[in-house]
Amino acid sequence: MAQKSDLLQGTLDLLILKTLANGPMHGWGISLDIQQVSRDVLQVNQGSLYPALHRLEQQGLIESEWGSSENNRQAKFYRLTRSGRKQLANETENWARISEAVGRVLMKGTT
Amino acid sequence: MGRRIRTRLASLFRRGRCERELDVELRFHVDMLTEQNVRAGMPRFEAREAALRAFGAVDRIKEDVRDTWLSRLFETVTQDLRYGVRGVRRNPGFAAIVILTMALGIGANTAIFSVVYAVLLKPLPYKDPDHLVVLHQQRPRAGVQDMRFSYKEILDYRAARSLEDVVELHDMWFILLGQAEPQRVATSVVSAIFFDVLGVRPLYGRTFQPSDDKPGAPAVLVLSHRYWQHTFGADPSVVGRIFRMNDRPHQVIGVLPPLPHYPVDVDVDVYMPASACPFRSDPTMLDDRDGRMMRAIARIRPNVTPQKARADLDIMAARLQGEYPNSYPADRGYRTIAVPLQDELTTSFKMTLNVLLGTAGFVLLIVCASIANLLLARMVRREQEVVVRSALGASRGRLVRQLLTESTLLALAGGLVGLALAQFGLDLLVAFAGRFTTRAVEIAIDRHVLAYTLVMSVITGLLFGSVPALTGSLGLTPTARASGGRSTQGRLRIRSTLIVIQVAASFMLLIGAGLTIRTVIKLQQVDPGFSTDDIVTMRIDLNFSKYRGQRAAEFWKEIDQRIKAVPGVVRAGGAGTFPLNDQGPFSQPIRIKGCEISENAGRPTAAVRHATPDYFAAIGQPVLSGRTFLEGETWGTAPVVIVNRSFARHYWPERDPIGQQISGDDGERWSTVVGVVADTKQQLTEPVRDEIYIPTFQVGFLASSWLVRSTFDPTLMEREIRAAVHSVDPDQPIHNFRTLAEVRSASIASPKLTATLLGIFGLLALLITAAGIAGVVTFSVNQRTQEFGVRMALGAQRTNVVTMVLRQGLQLVLIGLALGMAGALVLTGVLTTLLFGIEPTDGITFITVSMVFVAVAAIACFVPARRAASVDPMIALRVG
Repeated sequence: MAQKSDLLQGTLDLLILKTLANGPMHGWGISLDIQQVSRDVLQVNQGSLYPALHRLEQQGLIESEWGSSENNRQAKFYRLTRSGRKQLANETENWARISEAVGRVLMKGTT
Repeated sequence: MGRRIRTRLASLFRRGRCERELDVELRFHVDMLTEQNVRAGMPRFEAREAALRAFGAVDRIKEDVRDTWLSRLFETVTQDLRYGVRGVRRNPGFAAIVILTMALGIGANTAIFSVVYAVLLKPLPYKDPDHLVVLHQQRPRAGVQDMRFSYKEILDYRAARSLEDVVELHDMWFILLGQAEPQRVATSVVSAIFFDVLGVRPLYGRTFQPSDDKPGAPAVLVLSHRYWQHTFGADPSVVGRIFRMNDRPHQVIGVLPPLPHYPVDVDVDVYMPASACPFRSDPTMLDDRDGRMMRAIARIRPNVTPQKARADLDIMAARLQGEYPNSYPADRGYRTIAVPLQDELTTSFKMTLNVLLGTAGFVLLIVCASIANLLLARMVRREQEVVVRSALGASRGRLVRQLLTESTLLALAGGLVGLALAQFGLDLLVAFAGRFTTRAVEIAIDRHVLAYTLVMSVITGLLFGSVPALTGSLGLTPTARASGGRSTQGRLRIRSTLIVIQVAASFMLLIGAGLTIRTVIKLQQVDPGFSTDDIVTMRIDLNFSKYRGQRAAEFWKEIDQRIKAVPGVVRAGGAGTFPLNDQGPFSQPIRIKGCEISENAGRPTAAVRHATPDYFAAIGQPVLSGRTFLEGETWGTAPVVIVNRSFARHYWPERDPIGQQISGDDGERWSTVVGVVADTKQQLTEPVRDEIYIPTFQVGFLASSWLVRSTFDPTLMEREIRAAVHSVDPDQPIHNFRTLAEVRSASIASPKLTATLLGIFGLLALLITAAGIAGVVTFSVNQRTQEFGVRMALGAQRTNVVTMVLRQGLQLVLIGLALGMAGALVLTGVLTTLLFGIEPTDGITFITVSMVFVAVAAIACFVPARRAASVDPMIALRVG
């Protein structure tokens, strides 16, 4: 099992949840969306994406369903569950708090 | 929620589908990447190659995904188990040793716990047992702790507000006729509501009803489970049968389930309703506030606190004291206390049981240390396996888990064998516990005990497994491990520590065993004041409805003559009881003429029993001055007594005791002292008491023991003696035929059993530890084979090598011994009440045990040391 840092793993989970908040999507779509929205800053590694999706599904934060994609192919769509939505809200708030705190520490003395 | 569980379990039960879906899901991603590349202008073939490259190792991703599935956990556990079983099968000798050692530890603990659970932890098998108490009347200022109750007092306490019910009970010996031989049965005489208050349902038939307890009601009996099994072969049809007892027909109406009973020192055969007891229901007895022959069990009302109950009993006692000052003289004090029935039944056993529990715990500690040591030794041989597996990518956590699975597997197997051992030893323990508490009937290996064994096995498995798992090469960094890991030194240190722990713990156990064994030896050395050789004893209880007063006195005289006439009998005598018998003589207040003591000081008391003229000669108790009783001192002649030396010295230190006068009934009748006999001990552990003997033929006693000294094996006399007694009265039961030597041996059976149990535990500990020492020394010798080769090549003598190895091994033993000795000095204090004649720091025990220990340890070191010395330097050097 590859060791990932908690921050990275937690961040990816948060990004997945946030992306799914706009509606059901397949893994490919999620990676595209994150890449586009972040203006190519964040590139999602497939090697982390799929284990993360499956883990979130096992945790009950998201659920999956087979459907057809835009080009009429069988694809696995993921969707937020109610507890996923709750988790997203909590984590977003947490993230904001931490990034603000980190920002304040970094800015100290520069102004 | 349902969906979530389904998702989680899918990987377990629909594995194929999960795999296929994962495949499709990932292929979709790759296809989309390809499309993107095509749209960017790549040729289709190249586009797919690029997509696959960008996607990364598909198998790796799949593995990572599978890691999130629940099935992964099961896979690794079953894999661990498979490896574990394979490891055990590859090395059956090692597994057998571990399982056997473990079985000894778990077996000992399971057996002891089954006793602890049944006796101390389990609630009594009665209805609301927490509310059941035993009442004791006390005269604190006279030192009387347990005064019985009179009928009137029972009625009074029934009115106490905190008490829901009070039931009376007392024990009697009655003679039951209607079987092949007349039988003396231990009868518990109880209130009709006794079984209802306890909440006991009969196994067969019914228990008592209030109508059974009315004067003139048909007489009925309820049988105890034990008596029903022993005497009637557990035949339910005994219900309804009629026996003769006390000159009346008695019908058996019910059989009880196995239950503990109070008090603990009587093995009750049958129960009878209170009004049917001719003594207790005698009108003068019922009317006499001081006719105290009964015990009382009470049920405290629900929601009444112990404090409230205590206060209530105090109020009642004060009221009675005010109303009947003659029955409760102020100078002796008076109060009534309530003791939980549970405590009454188990108090005498608690001490011993705690000692046993502690001992079993020590044994388990030694077992754990010993197995950890074995596992460590084996880890050396598995070093290679560990290195290879971790090189192949097994994480440290995974390897640790694997080792723990293995050790838990071994522990469970050991626990299973231990369970069988415990079951095997349970009979011995039940018999042992039966000497202290009637709750022994409840001891069994039930589901609570099984749960305990399971938990203990798993915990010990994890405990001894964690030592090799967390130390040794697994504790090293991966690089150190890869470089071959010279963790041997560190491991030797841990192994040495384990040995020191084992030595210390087993030394303490052996000290405990040694102290109890010394106690038994001391008890056997006690001189009771008479010889126990060639004497057989028996007891005869008269049928009170047939013999009373003068008739009883005459009966004894007749029996005396008939027994003495039996061929082979040298001496024969009767007495109320005899020394070392568990039924001691009654203690009675007396008055001594010319020795009047002031009102405030307690009245003098003495142990009173009756005796025939030849009793002293029969038991071998010399008459020191004066004479024994005369054959002519019979019913109606002037009352005489004999006292023992202790009594004479106590009350007439300066005067001749012969001719002095004593009264046992507050001065109504005075008896003249005609002789002084030597002291004897009633119990080996007790000091000599002041004793008074009164002539059997002069007073109509209802029971007597007989002692017969014969020219040949006294046990062969039984038939002749029975015939002699039956020639006087064929309906007269005779029981408890035992030699005096047997009586003596029985009187120390409890300390003997304690010593046996502790001895077994100590021996086990010593063996396991010795094996451990030998193991560690062998291990270190093997590690140093090369070194020994070099030393010997350079001219070291074989004896030098032996000495070196011995010294190293014995060093550990001595450290352990020192620690064990310190621990023993602190801990043996708890044994004080179990010891006799020695201090808990008894020097002889400490020295002997130390010497035995060092000797055993030296042998354990010597065997591998010799092997080290026999090393051929050439071979040793080449092997390295």
